[in-house]
Amino acid sequence: MECSFGITGKDYVLLASDMSAGRSILQFKSDENKIKELGPHLAMAYGGEPGDTNNFADYIERNMRLYHIRHHHALLPHAASSWIRRSLADSIRSRRPYSVNLLLAGFDTTDDTPHLYWIDYLGTKAVVPYAAHGMGMHVSLSTMDKYWHPNQDRRDGVDVLKKAIAEAQHRLSIKFTFNAIIIDKDGIHTVDLAAEDPIGKIEAEKAAKAEAEAAAAAAAAAPPAAAPEASAPVAAAA
Amino acid sequence: MARRYDSRTTIFSPEGRLFQVEYAMEAISHAGTVLAVLSKEGIAIAAEKKVTGKLLDLSLTTVGGEGSEAWMAGGGEKIFLLNNNILTGLAGITSDANSLVNFARNSAQRHLYSYDEDIPVEMLVQRLCDMKQGYTQYGGLRPFGVSLIYVGWDPLHGFQLYQSDPSGNYSGWKATCIGANHSSAASLLKQDYKDDITLEEAKSLCLKTMSKTMDSTKLSSEKLEFATMTLHADTKQPLAKIYRPAELDELLQQLELGGTKEETVGVGEGTGGGGSGGNIAVST
Amino acid sequence: MSRSYDRALTVFSPDGHLFQVEYALEAVRRGTAAVGVRGKSCVVLGVEKKSALQLQDPRTVRKVAMLDDHICVAFAGLTADGRILIDKARVECQSHRLTVEDPVTVEYITKHVAGIQQKYTQSGGVRPFGISTLIVGFDPNDTVPHLFMTEPSGIYSAWKACAIGRASKTVREFLEKNYTENLDRELTIKLAVKSLLEVVQTGAKNIEISVMESYGVVRSLEQTEIEAIVSQIESEKEAEAERKRARLAATQAGQASMFASALSAAGTGAATPSQADASGATGEGSDVQ
Repeated sequence: MECSFGITGKDYVLLASDMSAGRSILQFKSDENKIKELGPHLAMAYGGEPGDTNNFADYIERNMRLYHIRHHHALLPHAASSWIRRSLADSIRSRRPYSVNLLLAGFDTTDDTPHLYWIDYLGTKAVVPYAAHGMGMHVSLSTMDKYWHPNQDRRDGVDVLKKAIAEAQHRLSIKFTFNAIIIDKDGIHTVDLAAEDPIGKIEAEKAAKAEAEAAAAAAAAAPPAAAPEASAPVAAAA
Repeated sequence: MARRYDSRTTIFSPEGRLFQVEYAMEAISHAGTVLAVLSKEGIAIAAEKKVTGKLLDLSLTTVGGEGSEAWMAGGGEKIFLLNNNILTGLAGITSDANSLVNFARNSAQRHLYSYDEDIPVEMLVQRLCDMKQGYTQYGGLRPFGVSLIYVGWDPLHGFQLYQSDPSGNYSGWKATCIGANHSSAASLLKQDYKDDITLEEAKSLCLKTMSKTMDSTKLSSEKLEFATMTLHADTKQPLAKIYRPAELDELLQQLELGGTKEETVGVGEGTGGGGSGGNIAVST
Repeated sequence: MSRSYDRALTVFSPDGHLFQVEYALEAVRRGTAAVGVRGKSCVVLGVEKKSALQLQDPRTVRKVAMLDDHICVAFAGLTADGRILIDKARVECQSHRLTVEDPVTVEYITKHVAGIQQKYTQSGGVRPFGISTLIVGFDPNDTVPHLFMTEPSGIYSAWKACAIGRASKTVREFLEKNYTENLDRELTIKLAVKSLLEVVQTGAKNIEISVMESYGVVRSLEQTEIEAIVSQIESEKEAEAERKRARLAATQAGQASMFASALSAAGTGAATPSQADASGATGEGSDVQ
């Protein structure tokens, strides 16, 4: 029982997932985060056999990080999707296959394009403009089909997502709670679906952060004579 | 005294040096020059061929080509396509070079298999260098007697130019040179290189420097291999072009560096006398 | 007689030496210098950067590497060996996270790196790694900075301040003389730069400084910042020298006036002891930092 959505837009990609964890008709948890950040511009929403999911997600996460630190840059979304698909394709031909489905969302910083991939446990990969896994596949694809259009801006994208979620809430007997993220050229940001204007909230956060950084840089540059604000952090904790 | 420590590569001398590696580098400094120049629009690479004998039959080797043609027809003996987006020029022992080219091509294909993308240039360089390093550390093996220049393009860093040596070190460059006379060529490049150079200027700088470092005054396709890495005008994808002999001669004529078959370009007069001993050069 | 024992690594020479390991240390001494200094709440890595040649791409010259978000390493010795060892350590960092869901501690990864280095002194047919490393960082959920060093032999040790590579002995002596506990950020950086200046004659352009300020926060200083620190140090040194000269002149004047009446002919002899005084004072003077 799960439900996840992905939607691309002009310069961003949205990813949303339900937060339930359970077995059969029982729900054990309603605040499980099933979206994993895999890099500065890459994340996946995953579902499937409990246990397999976390195991597989951790495995992917660590390998993505290893690639990043070894080669000084993260895998681009397309290459990452191929590697993850390959992992699942090898897995299903192994003795103990992972039973994990996922939506992979990323932003390619080399050509400023959003990417969304629909991948399942069989090792199927599809490049899609919008997608759903789990129950959402049955009820919300038509909604997204109707309201999605290419090059829509962020607010329109969030609207489509809200509509898709509303449809799921409306049609399904299980009540899900959702969390969501948006990936753009600046990285990954949490989307507060309960907020009146989630995008406005993110913009405000970005502006505040930029201001704080500028202030910190100015403070750091102050003591040793006149060093300019061009202080580049080598790495920061994820 | 030094002799005691140089017979096995895996061994440090008392001063902390690895003699076999140093000797391998020495061998390369007698090999045919390879020289490359980077520009924003593309990279030019030229290599000096050691002509090995009048009777060598080259009629079956196709030389040069563009894009996928370049796969089958390398520059002959010095310039090879490692992947769609990466060309290499080698200086050193030919047989070692062949096995390195094979290894590199395999690595590139393995990357394609896993990631469905052309291997990033630096990663391929690193793969090769990791192997070369292994041969300086593990039991009983001698190091590879080959230095390489890599020219390539990837979406992350655009056009890139690297050089690696038998120790497994590598570094990125704007213009560089390996093989015979590399230090004098390097200082010529340093003098004449400008950061905003165009591809045409890079090609000309590459060949002009080559003509100054090679012994013969006139260049021709008999003594030279030449290639460029650019982006395809329409697809914006990397495009390797290894010049066919006729194309290279035409370019040389344009630059007034030769390109004509003249008596002065004596067969077998190569630098270092690669052909003096046998017919097939051990060192290219 | 010990000649034949320095080839195979697995055996000792009759007088108990492992020659290859000692020679590997020589390779380290031929490498560029690197220093690490631990402050109160930060740790600084400083490295001597070979001046990048004019046509070289500075992006590919890397002396300081990240092993994980919170661990930073610098090495001295054979560059290619360093790359391989760092790669192995990086794999271990991620593998550790995957198996126990925690980032490595600085000591753990140091021990791992040293373990690999040790293995290469005892396994058949391999030579040791020709590198020493300085590993710095913060443990997860902790604010105490750490600094470790590993050697080709596989020895590892924790330090307050340490130097490896070219002229490491000189730098280490300098650090011993000038280190004080609980340095703040500025002074830690300054001490690192100052100690590097002991071996790097060419100044700021050949120095690279990375500061780890807390868990996962690393900053490499801009060239301009390093230049500012270097010129600050130089002006301090000059001021110090100026003071010395003034003091020396005063002493000499004093002595001269003392001796003038009785021993005016022996003035040259009197200069020698006063010079010795001055050089002794220089050492004390630089303790202030």
